[in-house]
Amino acid sequence: MVEQFDRALRLASTRIVESIANFLPGALVFLVLLVGALIVALVLRYALRRALNGLEFDRRAGLLGISLSDWTPSRSASTLVASVAYWTVLALGLLFGFTALNATLPSQFAVSVLQYVPHLVAALVILVVGGVVARFLARATLIGAVNMGVQYARLLSLTVKWLVLIVAAAMALDHIGIGRTVLLLAFGILFGGVVLAIALAVGLGARDVVSRALDRQLREPARDDKLNHV
Amino acid sequence: MVGLTSYHDQETIGAVTAAVHEGLTCHFAGLTSRIVLVDCGSTDSTVARAREALGDGGDLLEVSAPRAGVDLLEVPYHGIPGKARALHTILTTARELDARGCVIFDAGVRTITPHWVDWLARPVIEHAFDFVSPYYHRQPFEGALTKGLVYPLVRALYGVRLRQPAAAEFACSGRLLDHFLEEDLWERDGAQVGIDLWLAASAASGDFRLGEAALGIRTHHARGGEALDLGTTIVQIAGSLFADLEGRAGRWQRTRGSVPVQLFGTSLATGSPQASSVDVERLIESYRLGYRELRDIWTWVLPPRTIVELRKIADGPHMLFRLDDELWARIVYDFVLGYRLRVLARDHLLQSLAPLYSGWLASFIVQVRDRSTEAVDQRVEDLAAAFEAQKPYLIARWRWPERLRTGQEKRKE
Repeated sequence: MVEQFDRALRLASTRIVESIANFLPGALVFLVLLVGALIVALVLRYALRRALNGLEFDRRAGLLGISLSDWTPSRSASTLVASVAYWTVLALGLLFGFTALNATLPSQFAVSVLQYVPHLVAALVILVVGGVVARFLARATLIGAVNMGVQYARLLSLTVKWLVLIVAAAMALDHIGIGRTVLLLAFGILFGGVVLAIALAVGLGARDVVSRALDRQLREPARDDKLNHV
Repeated sequence: MVGLTSYHDQETIGAVTAAVHEGLTCHFAGLTSRIVLVDCGSTDSTVARAREALGDGGDLLEVSAPRAGVDLLEVPYHGIPGKARALHTILTTARELDARGCVIFDAGVRTITPHWVDWLARPVIEHAFDFVSPYYHRQPFEGALTKGLVYPLVRALYGVRLRQPAAAEFACSGRLLDHFLEEDLWERDGAQVGIDLWLAASAASGDFRLGEAALGIRTHHARGGEALDLGTTIVQIAGSLFADLEGRAGRWQRTRGSVPVQLFGTSLATGSPQASSVDVERLIESYRLGYRELRDIWTWVLPPRTIVELRKIADGPHMLFRLDDELWARIVYDFVLGYRLRVLARDHLLQSLAPLYSGWLASFIVQVRDRSTEAVDQRVEDLAAAFEAQKPYLIARWRWPERLRTGQEKRKE
């Protein structure tokens, strides 16, 4: 009995030691990977900040209409890019570390996340391009409407900006597969509703105004045409 | 040699060709002359009318210029798509013919007389002038963009008082013609739109003798399409001028002051130019709307001091609406710098100048409304002098643009 207990105890101890011996290298690799990722992330963040400052990235991004002041007044575009790179490298280091631990669940998670990364990057690109296009079109609409003497130019401009931003966000979400059906339905309802509302507003509320404007347009040339500016 | 550029000008080209032929026959009978027509793709009977007008009495040399499909995508303010290619073809032909001088006419002009040929060509042929620009008699508010921006800027930058440098007609000597053809402006972006201005700037910035010819009243037939809106006109005119002066910075930064150019010809035109009706109230409202909505965009281009002055004007009563010459000059110079630094998309930048121009025009009209033509001309000269006085402001910021950037960053903070 005692001998059996002693054998079982030895076996258990051996297994525990073996498990620890099996786990320790993985844990060590995990730690090394994590520390390595941290160092790479820090170096990358520093290098990116220096490089982007040298390239006047913030000014150039401002020219393209990418301004973060509306959302994060304390952060510039270059700081954001550097931070995104920093956290991406850290996250990747963590995922690789889990794989090194040979833990089945985190490994599967890591693989699935890594497979998802291209979609995330594409969605991010869609969002950034959407933001740039939205600001460009909003500014063009604002200036054009002001030059046409439209009193509600800013409202028009904001409408254009948010329409493009919403479309970009929907495209990005669709790309990463979040709420595809709901989004489609929501957009159908939203755009249908907007168009119907405008049609009703113009058809019922502003019928006379539109009629007068068209009449004026057809009868006489624009007042601006009478003066040759050149 | 006389070159004609045409595009859907069947209504006027007959009279233009006949007038040119008569001008050459009467005034330059002792010289060998040729009329060269470059049509820019008319689908009507423009070319046939030109041939008919000359009959057997004169030979018309028809030369075709290369065309590009993109020309039809943009309607230029002068109405002739592919105009730079047409002018290049005419000047090349003139060089091949070893012409002593070349006179260019737009075939859409209604008021041309044989004297126009004489007054434009004689300074080149007999007085050794290199470039003769027309000086048309205009109603006080007509050509306001030329009076308020193009002329003062060209005068301040290049030091010559060429009052209508954006005109479609001009005469040039063989020497200047060679210089034009050697310039690298023919294939530049925007050449088809801004070529008239660029040639005038090229002549003004070189060591050439410049003159003006008083040709009377110029009216022009509409080439089908609607007139361009103000924003597009400013984009084309100011954009062409701003784009060109980037390449001539070395020259205009050395130029100080300005000299008048000799005026030839006496206008035989009777009557006065057709009066334009301008709604000053609407112009002021355009300015105020612009200030309200585009102020944020202007802060990218204009310094805070200017924005404060613009606010005072916007808040003031209609009766006292004034935009000072110095302020307007600095605004234009700041837009020149903004264009150079690309602080915004260039089209946006130039279009946002339209309400400011409306404000200046309103102020100009209020000041000259009931005054004589001489007084109006003097008012334009005063404005141009203000542009000259403010030129150091442009030069300083052109040379150290980072100061402007620092200013913008401070404003953002």
